[in-house]
Amino acid sequence: MPEEVVITGMGIISSLGLSLEENWKNLIAGKSGIRHITLFDPVSCATRIAAEVPAEFEELSRRYIKKRAASQMTRVTRMCVTAAKIAVEDAGISFEEADRTRCSVIMGVVNTGNSSAERDTNLQNTVFKSMTNSMPAWISLEYQLTGPNFAVNTACASSAYAIAFGYEMIRNGQSDIVIVGGADSIINAEEINGFNALYALSVANDPPGQASKPFSGDRDGFVIGEGAGVLILESAAHAHARNARIHAGVAGYALTSEGYNIMAPMKDGEGMARTMELALKNAGVGREEIGYINAHGTSTELNDRYETMAIKKVFGELAGQIPVSSSKSMIGHTIGAAGAIEAIITAMSLREGILPPTINYRNPDPDLDLDYVPNIPRIKDIRTAMSNSFGFGGHNAILVLKKYTA
Amino acid sequence: MATITESIKAEVKEIVYNFFAEECETDVSRITNETNIISDLDGDSLMFLELIEIFKKKYHLDIELKTIGKYAVKHPVSTIGQLIEMQLLIIEHENRLLEFER
Repeated sequence: MPEEVVITGMGIISSLGLSLEENWKNLIAGKSGIRHITLFDPVSCATRIAAEVPAEFEELSRRYIKKRAASQMTRVTRMCVTAAKIAVEDAGISFEEADRTRCSVIMGVVNTGNSSAERDTNLQNTVFKSMTNSMPAWISLEYQLTGPNFAVNTACASSAYAIAFGYEMIRNGQSDIVIVGGADSIINAEEINGFNALYALSVANDPPGQASKPFSGDRDGFVIGEGAGVLILESAAHAHARNARIHAGVAGYALTSEGYNIMAPMKDGEGMARTMELALKNAGVGREEIGYINAHGTSTELNDRYETMAIKKVFGELAGQIPVSSSKSMIGHTIGAAGAIEAIITAMSLREGILPPTINYRNPDPDLDLDYVPNIPRIKDIRTAMSNSFGFGGHNAILVLKKYTA
Repeated sequence: MATITESIKAEVKEIVYNFFAEECETDVSRITNETNIISDLDGDSLMFLELIEIFKKKYHLDIELKTIGKYAVKHPVSTIGQLIEMQLLIIEHENRLLEFER
């Protein structure tokens, strides 16, 4: 009998705050974390806005990471480790009492953060700062966990993939606890100019808070966000044995590859739809059971169009009745962290019975006619929800989460 | 080759103590020659390399890292006192360190 998988801890750092509570409060208030860039001088960039993590992060980071270790990490690695420690605290785990050989770490890592915006003169540290496995490695080191620890890179779906692999390791009995998630920060000139060259980013610089407008008729690209999201996945049996609080359950997932284009999603959202259908099947969930979809919803022309088409294809006549919202309207696109941050938001929606809105929805696109939870949150008790992630390169990941009842 | 005077000994000790106090976020008064670098200070092997760089610059040392590496394999260091002793040997013998193995 496969192990049941639950979420017992969550940590989130984003432009909307440095704690789960602060993020959730701001998300359901429909606040935007997008501002003019301060991390570097963006004068040479067409896009001069981003969702930066508050400056108070530095102080928070010092509380969680020793100076010596911090000097060997990039800012984004510190975000990841800090979020992981917050998640472990939230889960109330004492690793002294756990079997560390059955505790693992999997992080979605797209960028190490060792960019021009973060110069380093210590050549030894440059190596550590450039290691794409540094995030899971530091977390494993921190708690002396000796189960597998590794990074996965599937672009914007990376941390959703990490959650899927963590789920699988518990499901098949390899681990009791898996720390999963991801962190990302690409707010630097080379990344912004690179995405601008692909016409992928919004250039609606003023006012910044209105730039990310998923599913709107006037959407003009995504806004880069930075942050970290970490979840503690645990077997339900292990969680019950230590009387842990359970935020939500993980019902299943699907991972697919489109084999189609390095940037564009497959026409009409065919790949997205196939992944959603597979996720429902793998989770043993009927389409009528899905009460909310946390969309990938990037605010780009193609993603939002194709994701809408995919939802319609999968859910048919039910599609219009399912609330679909995009957290990226508020926190921007956090790239490698997006899958985990949005899974946390989905879990909170299940736990709290509140759906965060898609803000900046003022000019509907006549072709996109789902219920996007426009501008204000919605109180709705939901039992099962879906979190969508799609990455450059054709990496698709769909997670199905459920309200947990013992 | 340098002659190790009492003044150099004191200077090396002070540099090593202050370095570990700063890097390991501990009060210098808590460090002694018997303090274990890993278990007491949560230090790491890179600190050794960083100290070598500090002393290479300070005393204009002609020493290759591989020489120190060969020496350290045979004479592993675990306490602050052992580390100071090795740094003094490096300052004294530089690239001829292996010829003066204990």
